[in-house]
Amino acid sequence: MTRPTAKEVKAIADVAGVPVDNETAARIANSIGPAFDGFAAIAGTLQFDLEPSTFVVVQTSKAAR
Amino acid sequence: MSSEPALMSLTAVAKAIADKRVSSREATQSCLARIVRWQPHLNAFMAIEAEEALKAADAADTALAKGDRRGPLHGVPLAHKDMYYEAGKVVTCGSRIRGDFVATTTSTALQRLKDAGTIRLGSLQMAEFAYGPTGHNSHYGSVHNPFALDHITGGSSSGSGAAVAARLTFAALGSDTGGSIRMPAHFCGVTGLKTTVGRISRAGAMPLSQSLDTVGPLARTAEDCAVLLTLMAGADPEDPTAVSGPVPDYAAATTQSIKGLTIGVPTSFYVDDLDADVAGALEATIAAFRREGANIVAVELPDQRQLSAAAQLVLAVEAAAFHKRWLIERAQDYGAQVLMRLQNGLAIPAVNYLEAMRWRGVALAAHLAAVKGVDAVIAPVSPVPAPTIAESDVGNSPDAEAVIQRLTRFTRPINYLGLPSLSIPSAFTRSGLPVGMQLIGRSFDEATLLRIGAAFQRATDFHERVPQLP
Repeated sequence: MTRPTAKEVKAIADVAGVPVDNETAARIANSIGPAFDGFAAIAGTLQFDLEPSTFVVVQTSKAAR
Repeated sequence: MSSEPALMSLTAVAKAIADKRVSSREATQSCLARIVRWQPHLNAFMAIEAEEALKAADAADTALAKGDRRGPLHGVPLAHKDMYYEAGKVVTCGSRIRGDFVATTTSTALQRLKDAGTIRLGSLQMAEFAYGPTGHNSHYGSVHNPFALDHITGGSSSGSGAAVAARLTFAALGSDTGGSIRMPAHFCGVTGLKTTVGRISRAGAMPLSQSLDTVGPLARTAEDCAVLLTLMAGADPEDPTAVSGPVPDYAAATTQSIKGLTIGVPTSFYVDDLDADVAGALEATIAAFRREGANIVAVELPDQRQLSAAAQLVLAVEAAAFHKRWLIERAQDYGAQVLMRLQNGLAIPAVNYLEAMRWRGVALAAHLAAVKGVDAVIAPVSPVPAPTIAESDVGNSPDAEAVIQRLTRFTRPINYLGLPSLSIPSAFTRSGLPVGMQLIGRSFDEATLLRIGAAFQRATDFHERVPQLP
């Protein structure tokens, strides 16, 4: 998982339906970069059959309480 | 009994009203008198509804005289963060966009407090759309810290922190998506409870991030938070994410000793790069727990930076999705900082967002394994006490973004894990600024956190310190 460039940010924002100018795209790329870097070790490593609902399963399990 | 009812705790004033030692009118007048004196200095209130509050107080007194006690908080005046819908009331959410929005429903949390007999003093300031950690608000002005007026309150529940600290309300609802209850509690010297995701219904509370949002109280004591939690928690047909099952008597938990409980101290991250006053407060708090009979153990937690990064991805995307229509139609009506934060979420691909959501259960399981046998983990809420308003104003200070990032590093991981966390006043710096510590618990085990917090408050007086007007 690599942080998006300003050019990629601009394209993604356009697709999202909220276009941004070049300056804003550069600012966004800089701002969200650390989150991408921080999550890089996890991204692309998750098991196939893992669903978001696993969180609730773990949260409500006996072990959680 | 204090000669100034507003200085009493929530629990004490509720009992005093029930016993007819203090009338609801006296309690309300006492709060209103303090609001008149403090509001020009703090900017804590969004709306002050003095006339309506006194009318409601008189009605509460009349009902009580006839033996009609509505609930355990009969006649207690409160004000809450201006994001909890109350039918017929303007709910600004700290924004220009919702500056004249009149709610048509009442939030479940608020309704449950009303059903317990509380009356409304008005509404409290907040960061715009609860999306800011400092207390700055470009539309309605910054809220000021009652212990040092040129310092921030923390956010986003800025008005709640300031108003509870200055004894303008006996307690206040806040919300915590990335630290928005715990930071104002830490910076303002009050007690704040971030609840487990699912513990309190979010129906009728302004959304920011459906996966991370939590409702919770800021109050003067852990006991007060326990009373409020007991009243608000539980299933709600209006919010299927609110868990069912019996609600514990949290207030009863606060009477118990902590002898024999095990409290974990992280070996890294939460103890790194701390301001000297915060480091000293952490050591002193641990020593107090030890004196109260708790066992103190070291805990090695999983990488908290990964949790923080995942939290940022989830929050950014969900917030941008909630606001997308206004980002298209009314972008000019957002404050510059909030607009920038919302735009960040536009650039995160769906696959990355979903990976962050899919990993959440794995991360929680890893955390629970790391704290096996530990009843709670102690950590600072923030590495620093409250910075000044000027040095944390992104528009005016070149270092402000770095200051803000540092403020929130210890709170975001807990939101990602959905865990409860109680912030308790634990010290004052040499310059008189409050310092709070957070107790991080297991899912749905708020009772143990409140028990530890109450034991600490029986042994210390940091929560009793009242700020003075300059």
